[in-house]
Amino acid sequence: MSMCASANPYLAKPVTIEKITVENAARDLKTFRLAFCSRADREAFKFDCGQFAMLSVGGAGESPIGIASSPLDADYVEFTVKRYSTGVVSTALHAMEEGERLGLRGPYGNSYPLAAMEGRNVVIVSGGFAFTTLRSTIRYMLDGRNRSRFGSITTIYGARSPGELLYKDELKAWQDVDGIDMHVTVDKGEAGWTGREGFVPTVLGEVKPSSANAVALVCGPPIMLKFTIKPLLDTGFVPETIFTSLERRMSCGIGKCGRCDIGGKYVCRDGPVFSFKQIQELTGGQF
Amino acid sequence: MALGVISKEHLGKLIAAVSRTGRFLGPVDKGDGVCLTQVSAGDMLALDYVNFILPPKRMFFPRSEVIATHGSDGMTATPLPEGRVVLFGIRPCDVLSLVYLDKVFLDEKYADPYYRSRRDNAVIISLACRQPAPTCFCTSIKGSPAGKAGADILAVDIGDVLLLESVTATGEAFMAEYGKLLDKPSAEQVSSRQAQVAAADAKMARVSIDQATAKLRARFDAAAWDELTARCLGCGVCTFLCPTCHCFGLYDEQVGGQNRRVRAQDACAFPAFTLEASGHNPRTRQGMRMRHRMMHKFCYTAESFGEIFCVGCGRCIRSCPANLDIRETLTEVSK
Repeated sequence: MSMCASANPYLAKPVTIEKITVENAARDLKTFRLAFCSRADREAFKFDCGQFAMLSVGGAGESPIGIASSPLDADYVEFTVKRYSTGVVSTALHAMEEGERLGLRGPYGNSYPLAAMEGRNVVIVSGGFAFTTLRSTIRYMLDGRNRSRFGSITTIYGARSPGELLYKDELKAWQDVDGIDMHVTVDKGEAGWTGREGFVPTVLGEVKPSSANAVALVCGPPIMLKFTIKPLLDTGFVPETIFTSLERRMSCGIGKCGRCDIGGKYVCRDGPVFSFKQIQELTGGQF
Repeated sequence: MALGVISKEHLGKLIAAVSRTGRFLGPVDKGDGVCLTQVSAGDMLALDYVNFILPPKRMFFPRSEVIATHGSDGMTATPLPEGRVVLFGIRPCDVLSLVYLDKVFLDEKYADPYYRSRRDNAVIISLACRQPAPTCFCTSIKGSPAGKAGADILAVDIGDVLLLESVTATGEAFMAEYGKLLDKPSAEQVSSRQAQVAAADAKMARVSIDQATAKLRARFDAAAWDELTARCLGCGVCTFLCPTCHCFGLYDEQVGGQNRRVRAQDACAFPAFTLEASGHNPRTRQGMRMRHRMMHKFCYTAESFGEIFCVGCGRCIRSCPANLDIRETLTEVSK
């Protein structure tokens, strides 16, 4: 019995690196713009904001990475990858050049609750490089084909320093777009920085986005999440309307290999997006 | 349902007949234990054993296998295994474990093609237990020394002959195919089977798993996890020998200039299992890893699949170098 490749969930599809953007001053965050080598693979790859895919470098391995481009970006898929010196795949990826080939399988996992967000205001709170799938979500909501489906968008996004902010051109462009209220902050400014200074939870407390008819999407390091939940609850968000995307080490991405389990849920299959209510039930509210 | 008896002396004929079109795996004494091994007609089968050293999961989910090779045009999958394999002598507890593994590997959305192919190719003739070990506790969970779930045919050893009973259509077809080697059982043989099964059942250790399991969820933060696992060496033999443990990893490696993707068994008992490149590790202590293993078997799979992923085979108890007993861990932590 022969089997067509698509039925084998462990096989990656070939993609070409079209463009590499170094995102930050530390040069350990790069955005890879990828194009499927086969038209059929490209057409089969349909995803929603918040999903991830497994990126592989032949001979090095695979890593789960959130999709940073919008589902409406038809010709390419983008991933922003942080390089860790201990990370075999991220190090190999960062050594690659435009025109080289990678493997990609997915999309996997659930997405942000886009259907439930329709007709509601959206508050986005993010710190560091966890912003990637929220960038996908903002691009998606701001697209002319979608804009009327969602209410006002408030974004609070921070990084350690100005050079560490991702997607700098878009952040600047979004300042001038109607219907999105941008609050970009850095932990510590530097010469030439005229923007805001302060930690994300503090800025959140100052901006105090209304919880009326609103959903909050929160992504960042565990310490930021911990201190972000309280101001959100204080302004009237309930655990059911706060969503975050969790990360765990993964291998299969399809709920079999047992690695990314949190209290009986697989982050790869049942997540990565969970409501704070679910996280309370799974881990007692720990991230 | 079909019934038949085969004389132990005629097993060689069955092996020879099966081997003409496929493979026959049966119990062979390897000196330090009995293993499920491919045999041919002249080989001696061991029929007097408590259980195999290794659980049968390796026949469907090997320790390591090459899934695909990478080429310039993408990945080429390893061809699926073909040909019928008759597995004779697996104990009912282990056969039940395959029913549980099916739930993991044969889910609707992402069925594992290699596991599925091996399951589809298999004819399972299980062998009822005669003499349980002190570490056996299948009847405390969902099993029985003559349990049928997962088997195509159940064989019961009643002296000079094995009494075979088909459980599935595959088993019935198999018995029809080799009907010439089978006799009709006498009424005496059928009642002797009942007596044998009841005797084995009576010898089985009983523990109250249900009560402990019901309390386990609420004991997530119990100090007992660290206390009970203070003597755990983290060797992972419990996961390696567990018939239902199925954690694995996909690895891309370069061998002889060829890039290939390998799937290999892995274990939640090891600290690196959940270690992330950032240095973050959600399960840093052995107690957390033991808790995860127990919770996964007795709570999480019960919630997601409706089954406790322990069949009471007792291998983890028998082989633990630190003398940990899953039955004690379960009852102690649930106190």
